[in-house]
Amino acid sequence: MNRIKGTKIAVIFLGLLLSSCSVLEQGADILAGKGKVSRSDVDAVVKTGTALRKTFSDITEEEEYYIGRSVAALILSHYDVYENEVLINYVNTIGTSISYFSDRPETYGGYHFMILDTEEVNAISAPGGLIFITKGLLSRCTNEEMLAAVLSHEIAHVTKKHGLRAIKNSRLIEAFGIIGEQAVQRFGSAELQKLTTIFEGVLGDVVETLIEKGYDRKYEYEADVLAIEFAVNTGYSPLGIKDFLETMVSESSSVADKGWFKTHPSAADRIERVEKQIKALPDLPKVEQIRSDRFNQQIKSLR
Amino acid sequence: MKTPSRLFLMFLFLLGMIVVLLLADTLIVRIKSTPVRKEPKFYADILALLKAGDSVEKISAQNGWLKIRTDGGVIGWVHSGALEEKKFKLSAFDKSLKTQASASEVALAGKGFNKNVEESYRKKNPTINFAYVDKMLEIKIPPGKIEEFLRTGKLGEFGGTK
Repeated sequence: MNRIKGTKIAVIFLGLLLSSCSVLEQGADILAGKGKVSRSDVDAVVKTGTALRKTFSDITEEEEYYIGRSVAALILSHYDVYENEVLINYVNTIGTSISYFSDRPETYGGYHFMILDTEEVNAISAPGGLIFITKGLLSRCTNEEMLAAVLSHEIAHVTKKHGLRAIKNSRLIEAFGIIGEQAVQRFGSAELQKLTTIFEGVLGDVVETLIEKGYDRKYEYEADVLAIEFAVNTGYSPLGIKDFLETMVSESSSVADKGWFKTHPSAADRIERVEKQIKALPDLPKVEQIRSDRFNQQIKSLR
Repeated sequence: MKTPSRLFLMFLFLLGMIVVLLLADTLIVRIKSTPVRKEPKFYADILALLKAGDSVEKISAQNGWLKIRTDGGVIGWVHSGALEEKKFKLSAFDKSLKTQASASEVALAGKGFNKNVEESYRKKNPTINFAYVDKMLEIKIPPGKIEEFLRTGKLGEFGGTK
């Protein structure tokens, strides 16, 4: 008798198991874009997922990409592009290589680098991996290690999403609320208008931080720490960052209130910190002459 | 009563195990596109291209890389940063779909700050120029060039003196 009862229970659970698997597959198919899916199913998935979103860290890879694209467009409305194919290619090759040795080698749209046509010294990274350095900054680098250090620092801002941290949380809460509303598989025009207004606010927050206010100091220090890590992982001497900061210390006061100088903590303070970190490293890659030679070769077209 | 309660527990355990196994091996692509590579390194030969939302089956893992099988049967390596696990939590007792979707899954359902929002923003701000942004996104250094750059510069696995 007991055996029969046990078997019945087992059959019931087997039924439940199979039904749960079918629900599981149904869910998987929805998000893989397969099969027939009702609007209410999609909305249920999105609503539940969105309800969990609260801060910048819940911004999706795709959203980060679209924020980054517009931030980049705004940066490019402040500056002209320096169209030098040789140098753009060289900077992208160094930057892409370092990104492979970073703690976030894959972003939604990947890492891409551009040179801005200005004598101002600056480096700016838009969320998702769109990174800009100025001609003025390039001309102050004297070897590949220094350029690699600057690019590593900017890549670190991207990997740690420092740009997204500049977004006011109230904007995100409002956006996540609209995105999570039921029965809106595609935005209605009212929702789209509201989201667009919030999007403008989001871009304002990020661009103001990148170009005017600068990141919080703690993020700059964090980016220095990671810049050394990424550079060393790639095989570059960590002295590149120290050398670059030393060049900045001795920079003339004519540019000292613009760009990089306005948005970054003092170079002297940063040198002290990076020296400590470098001293603690057990095994340091050296500056290879072959890298300095190819740097000099590439940079010729700038001078 | 001893036998049924054992069977009961055994099936509960099996139920849990099967659901966990079904979830553990399926991953989705969380970025716009990513190559399936022949070896677990960024400049290895490319066997296939995956795009956001594609499902792959995990075979094994090694130093941040996952050996996977695509829906089309291609076996190769994808960096773990390009993939994420599905995060379904299911109620087995009713037919409604109760899930806890990941952030990327929300995006895959076509919501958030996306192409529609960018288009709407661009209509509102027609002077902002996206032409160079699109140009910038087209810059791609081929894997072979990166490998050559690392080799000649004594970087990465070709690292020189320390």
